[in-house]
Amino acid sequence: MSVDEIAKQLTIAQRPTPGVPRPYLFPPFERTRLANGLTVIAVHMAGRPLLAGAFIVSGGASDEPQGEAGATVLMARALTEGTTRHDAVALVEATERLGASLHVEAGWDALSVTLDVPAARLPALLDVVAEVVAEPTFPSAEIDRLRDERLNDLLQAAADPRRRAEEAFIETIYAPTSPYRHPAAGLRGTVEKLDADAARRALARLFDPARMTLIVGGDLTDLDVPALASERFASWQADPDASAPRVPDASPASRERRIRVIHRPGDVQTEIRVGHPGLPRLIPDYHSVSVMSALLGGLFNSRLNHKLREEKGYTYGAGAGFDFRRAAGPFSARAAVNTDVTVPALQDLLAELDGIRSAPVSADELASARDFLVGVFPLRFETPGAVVGAISGLVIQGLPDDELVRYRAQIEAVTPDAVLAAAQAHIRPDEAAIVLVGDADAFLPALEAAGMAPISVDREAGSPPEAAGHVTD
Amino acid sequence: MAGLTIDFTDERLDNGLRLIIAEDHAAPVVAVNLWYGVGSKHETPGKTGFAHLFEHVMFQGSAHVAKTEHFNLIQAAGGTLNGTTWLDRTNYFETVPSHQLELVLWLEADRLGSLLEALSQENLDNQREVVKNEKRWSYDNRPYGSWTEKLLAGLYPVSHPYHHPTIGSMEDLDAASLEDVSTFFRTHYAPNNAVLSIVGDVDPDQARAWVERYFARIPANAALPVALGDLSLPSVLGQEQRETVEDKVPLPRIFWGFRAPVFGDRRLDALELAGQILAGGKGSRLHRRLVRDERLAQDVTFFTLGLIGGASVAAGWATARPGIDLATLEGVYWEELQRLATELPTADELERAKALTEADELGALQRVEERADRLSMFATLFNDPGVANEMLPRYLSVTAEQIRDVCAEVFRTENRLVLTYLPLAPDAESVGEEVA
Repeated sequence: MSVDEIAKQLTIAQRPTPGVPRPYLFPPFERTRLANGLTVIAVHMAGRPLLAGAFIVSGGASDEPQGEAGATVLMARALTEGTTRHDAVALVEATERLGASLHVEAGWDALSVTLDVPAARLPALLDVVAEVVAEPTFPSAEIDRLRDERLNDLLQAAADPRRRAEEAFIETIYAPTSPYRHPAAGLRGTVEKLDADAARRALARLFDPARMTLIVGGDLTDLDVPALASERFASWQADPDASAPRVPDASPASRERRIRVIHRPGDVQTEIRVGHPGLPRLIPDYHSVSVMSALLGGLFNSRLNHKLREEKGYTYGAGAGFDFRRAAGPFSARAAVNTDVTVPALQDLLAELDGIRSAPVSADELASARDFLVGVFPLRFETPGAVVGAISGLVIQGLPDDELVRYRAQIEAVTPDAVLAAAQAHIRPDEAAIVLVGDADAFLPALEAAGMAPISVDREAGSPPEAAGHVTD
Repeated sequence: MAGLTIDFTDERLDNGLRLIIAEDHAAPVVAVNLWYGVGSKHETPGKTGFAHLFEHVMFQGSAHVAKTEHFNLIQAAGGTLNGTTWLDRTNYFETVPSHQLELVLWLEADRLGSLLEALSQENLDNQREVVKNEKRWSYDNRPYGSWTEKLLAGLYPVSHPYHHPTIGSMEDLDAASLEDVSTFFRTHYAPNNAVLSIVGDVDPDQARAWVERYFARIPANAALPVALGDLSLPSVLGQEQRETVEDKVPLPRIFWGFRAPVFGDRRLDALELAGQILAGGKGSRLHRRLVRDERLAQDVTFFTLGLIGGASVAAGWATARPGIDLATLEGVYWEELQRLATELPTADELERAKALTEADELGALQRVEERADRLSMFATLFNDPGVANEMLPRYLSVTAEQIRDVCAEVFRTENRLVLTYLPLAPDAESVGEEVA
């Protein structure tokens, strides 16, 4: 017997067929509305004594005036820096004694206070939540420290090739009128002017009971979440002048393909970003776009990862996707490739963006993405934290309560024609900005020879990054 | 809060494969976690990075599975998967909807039984390039990215297998041959060097029958275990090690490294709680003093990496705020380490550290994937999966005296490695002429 024959005997050729799936339903949940407009959502998950929670305020960095970019993120970080009753250290110690965590963050569309807490200690943790949300003092010294930390973080970002690429990419694809042109936490020009008053203004813009939702998930036996919320939050006055969250400008900077190179001498990889403003979350063909995006750059065997990694070995990973926001967040395809294959890798990447738009996907390829998105559904929601996170997404984006109940049927209904239509409508390689962060001296001649698009090069000085402006030609 | 106990069964097939099953029907999902008792510590000189490169090859197909099909089949089944390589071991894991368990077992058995069937120069060359790009992405093209390599090289002598990181060197990756892959597979990948844990919505009798069907026909390797020699080390370095590194970074950062008690030693449990007290969140000592009060640092960390051979790693860092005197930053960080080595932590600090540890443990163990990983880990490293149920009680029983004592043993000048990363001098990077 040959070695091959022996090896084959050690294994069984016949592939198993799946058993019968156990039915799975996204956990049902109920909404209650307090008289002041605050919404409470409780989702019971038996046998999960570690609860997860989220206190959501709809509206975020999108609501800022351009001159105060970063104020909302700063305000979110500062909420736990002191209240009229406790300083920051007392607040964190109180939370820790409960075996709980309390984390505040803000993004484009919402401010979220996320919680983990053993069930018995939920009432005590909600006391802390009510205090930090209703009585923050924004001490100037702590605001100054948080502002400086953000400025220092920007220095770090400028030195990190992938963060540099992300910042350059959004700056390149969005028009100067769009806030999406900068990160939600802001850039130096506005951040360095932020102070406690800016934080107070950010809070005043967002905070109103009608914009607030408390979500608690886990084993809620013996816990009346609406009553607990009412005791702590019902006394807040609604603001009769409160406005709805703003839908920001997401205009593109250009509708022409162009290449922007950020030169970093000596880098051993090139960070590639290709894309343009993408889509808001509320669109009729969301499920077709999800399947298309998974096929193009979401799955391990997506077209981009298969080509650039598994066929060519150009990268540790290539992908693409949409960042769905209240307005059109970015669509980007991305990979970090070794410097000497920069141009062929970029050509392969662009070919895949063209390919997904040029012909319908095969039934098998469609099935692999569709079956993943449908099948992975129960895995995504194993823990209360994941369930609360998903419901938070519905609340923030204004989606109906049964969105996740209907999700799998809608994914299953996606056809090859629908995938093609989604790609043709929403992926626009001819309008894409191409951002390359790496050692330009090593790949510019080949890039110019390839003649793909007009090229501009930023050559950053080797001086300390505080002083590093850039020269664009 | 009541602890969480994992009820499991523990048995062996005739070929030595250890099978651990834990039922939990809370969600219709099941996790499979397969640990092999081989890590980068088994690599021989000139072949660093090989255990990890090999892990990549394990996804390149086997007798009945085509290249990349392992990922395809699991994802189409609605599952998630990956593999990881560490100094002491390599693992492969999948989480799937529970009706897809048999597929996972078939896939894992196919590559253990017949990996070399599908091995080709083309696939090896492809994954070599992928891994080299992983090294560039994770280490070489990242600010401060060289620190783990320097940390291990400083804490372990050249003769010790923890001296080099799992990613290895470019030269050794370039030199890896098909013959190396075959030899590595035949030496280490055998059922009697593996622990298979199945946790979640599973019928144990059915799972056992499937494991028998797919794995029992794969023969044991009679030459196991592979001898590694004596990995024991002096508990301290013997003399301080210092290095200054210039890098493309905007802010200086001071890294600390120490030899620490091995994983499994109760003193390491105490050192982990010391880590919570020192840097576990905004209420911790280092954060309060360095970031909040004296504003010397942009961020601080302190953590342990548990290893079973000779010594574990204790490490941390502080990133300097612009314009800060680095000697002051280093001195204050060290002062806090010394304070915990000489004075008992307060009862409140200890209570908070335990509450945080308990919350972290219970949070992590909610997921079947994490439970399967822990059972395989403790079976592989300590021959006892039941340690998975002992860790939380162990952390909760640590005393203030034990924390002070282990800090006094570890935080000694003659046991410290200090790496100071500084921004490159301005003229070190050339500014080229405009080209485009």
